[in-house]
Amino acid sequence: MRKTNINWLKKKREGLYCVPGNFFIDPVFPVEKALITHAHTDHARPNNKSIFSSKETIELMHLRYGESYCSDFQIASFDEKIKINDVTVQILPAGHILGSIQFLINYKGYRLLISGDYKRTKDKTCLSYEPVECDTFITEATFGLPIFNHPNDESEVKKLIKSIKANVNKTHLIGVYALGKCQRLITLLRNLGYDETIYLHGALTKISDFYSKNNIKLGKISNISDCSRSEYANKLVLCPPSSLNDKWSQKFKNVVKGYASGWMRIRQRVKQKNIELPLILSDHADWGEILKTVNDVNPNEVLVTHGREEALVHYLTKKNFKSSALNLIGFEDENE
Amino acid sequence: MNDFVELLNDLILSPSRKKKIDLLKIFFCKSNLKDKGWAFCILTNRMDRKFVSVKELKELIIENYDEDLFRFSYDYVGDLAETISLLWESNNEKNTKINLHEFMEIFSNFDHKNKFKTKLKYFLDRSSENQRYTIIKILTGGLRVGVSNGLIKEALKLSGVRKKSEIEEFWHGFKLPCTDLFEWLDGKKLPKYINRKKLFNSFMLANNYNSNEFKSCKTDDYIAEFKWDGIRAQIIFSEDGKIFSRNGEDITNSFCDINTFIKGYFVVDGEIVVKKNNKVLSFNHLQKRIGRKNPSKKLIEDYPIHFIAYDILFYTSVDCRALDLIERKKYLNRFINICKFSNISTSSLIKFSSWDQLQNIKETSLNNHIEGVIIKKKTSLYKKGRVVDGWYKWKRNPFSVDFIIMYAQRGHGKRSSFYSDFTFGCWVDEQFTKLVPVGKAYSGYTNDELKSLDRWVRNNTVERFGPVRSLKPGLVVEVSFDNINYSSRHKSGVALRFPRFSRIRWDKPISQVCSLKYIKDLIN
Repeated sequence: MRKTNINWLKKKREGLYCVPGNFFIDPVFPVEKALITHAHTDHARPNNKSIFSSKETIELMHLRYGESYCSDFQIASFDEKIKINDVTVQILPAGHILGSIQFLINYKGYRLLISGDYKRTKDKTCLSYEPVECDTFITEATFGLPIFNHPNDESEVKKLIKSIKANVNKTHLIGVYALGKCQRLITLLRNLGYDETIYLHGALTKISDFYSKNNIKLGKISNISDCSRSEYANKLVLCPPSSLNDKWSQKFKNVVKGYASGWMRIRQRVKQKNIELPLILSDHADWGEILKTVNDVNPNEVLVTHGREEALVHYLTKKNFKSSALNLIGFEDENE
Repeated sequence: MNDFVELLNDLILSPSRKKKIDLLKIFFCKSNLKDKGWAFCILTNRMDRKFVSVKELKELIIENYDEDLFRFSYDYVGDLAETISLLWESNNEKNTKINLHEFMEIFSNFDHKNKFKTKLKYFLDRSSENQRYTIIKILTGGLRVGVSNGLIKEALKLSGVRKKSEIEEFWHGFKLPCTDLFEWLDGKKLPKYINRKKLFNSFMLANNYNSNEFKSCKTDDYIAEFKWDGIRAQIIFSEDGKIFSRNGEDITNSFCDINTFIKGYFVVDGEIVVKKNNKVLSFNHLQKRIGRKNPSKKLIEDYPIHFIAYDILFYTSVDCRALDLIERKKYLNRFINICKFSNISTSSLIKFSSWDQLQNIKETSLNNHIEGVIIKKKTSLYKKGRVVDGWYKWKRNPFSVDFIIMYAQRGHGKRSSFYSDFTFGCWVDEQFTKLVPVGKAYSGYTNDELKSLDRWVRNNTVERFGPVRSLKPGLVVEVSFDNINYSSRHKSGVALRFPRFSRIRWDKPISQVCSLKYIKDLIN
């Protein structure tokens, strides 16, 4: 019987704190030392003194926050174990977005796996999730309900290509998150043979260029401001979700509005956002993937954070896992 | 069936009215007669019964799926059909290809309860997620796919030889499965069973009063009547009379104490209320009668129905709808004189010479069961729906009281990620130590306010019980409500009618909120 008593992990105002390592993981407020799982803004915040993460995550934080990204950083690599105070830390890919990692923290032989956000579906823009055995597993539950069962990503992207072909005179305006979803959608489109220029809202170009520099082939992409008004028809334009219904999007007449997100599984959400073309495309594990991952990492205890914790905790408890909700604040339920 | 599944899905996702009409038109063009008829019945909610109740559906899913996981999911999605369609594990290899009309014929001829569930399970097992959603929506009724009857009439007009006005007149006459409607639309004769004199006629509805628009209007051109807090009804007085509700439902049996038998043919519009000892009673009393198909003698004696008539659509062979209001009122009075039923009266006119005076009358009327006044243009004809220069409702100003938020609950469906349903309360006594819940509100705030409220709830939670959070007393909200009455069903002893937020008082200390005594004093 393995020990399950993890009294060296604390919840503090700033976030999750590892006592023997004297560091925080994805803190909400600036701290001395932070381990960052990935560069999404609810996990990676500026002004930490020292950060420890993958090379890509640190570079993305620099790109987003400028000089306030940190005062000191340490790049983690996959083939070494780093000693931080009394613990050793190993990183593994999380399959969520470019640079996303998990932390395996070992203290006196007890292994804690913090997975951050992750998915198991293959994604050409990042390394695939790598499971590892552990004693305590911290999992996200963004889609922690059995209703979430993400369909095949290619068949979703085919819907978009089909709609572009069927509505020749219309602009297709698709809402995507700037970091991750945008580039994954482009890559999927390219794999399915869509080779037209894809136009990007200004907020998406910087990160897409970063992906290109990291050898992720996005094909012909262009800033939408380089496109004259008369040429909008029959174009595919990607923008941040918040721009779908703001003033910026009003310059496009005759549009089909789409949104690429795991939330598009639910009709009510689709209707609420006035989406005509929902694309169920998620960078988070769905219900089946979460359960598969729990089985793969085979922990004695599962701690569930941000999302729909209740159902997952209930189910895992029923399956004889020690399980509880972590109830961290600061992580937006609805972000992808 | 797949064409209909696709139609529903497209209708839900289509943002524009024009696109929806096009989708319907295309569907009605390409489908066979039987499928068209059934699709029409489903879309216009014309089924004579619910095939399956919410309770039975829940039983079915619990028999086939983990009950708790279903509850968590349902709580999140908010829509039963969608929850079940997403949770159900199907075997796609067995996929069925059944026509819509074949499917409908199977289920509308079903009367064996247990076998029904087996049959439904059979179909769910053999369907895709979209098909399951459609199947459940059909069987529970009430599609809510954003398709109004007006939109369907528009689509029918485009696909047939009949004019919209003709479709309007006979709309309510066609019976399940409505194949004869489509034959009629193509030029065939009306089916023999349709008797125009037994059909419901569409109601004229009131616009909201706007004081700016009325500033320049002469009061002489209008009449005003009280707006009673009852239910709208249309009564056909004839040898085979009928009472219809606001949406055309036959409610004759529920209100059998109104005599509809008379020689001739008269169609009268008015309000059903409960009236005892010459006094109109509150809507709470009327509620005891609503939905009771066969009211007992005692119920009828305790809650006697009265019909306040205010308009007439047909006076024997005269189609009064084409006459102006003043002419119609004359015909209405003639009818009341003929029928002489004691529980039917005409609505009396309010004397007023200025809008200010009318406002004063509306606000100071002692009768608690008046919602406000209705202003009607004297020259207006009786037309379907909300007509410009027709009728206007001017509601009483609502009550408005500050309360303290006590509990919050996550919303359903599109609000399921927000704490949007609030229980509010006031102090039990003047000691300001204990709170008592008074009511629940889930509207009246803007989307931005909802976000702030949600944040406040998350930061001030004392305890969580499933989807409900108990909150630290700290936030005051101004709540508006239309009326207040004593109630034995509530802990506070009072019931508010239609409470909603009118303002969030971030600034106001909770010690300034009133006690229950003050609230009770509001009841007259």
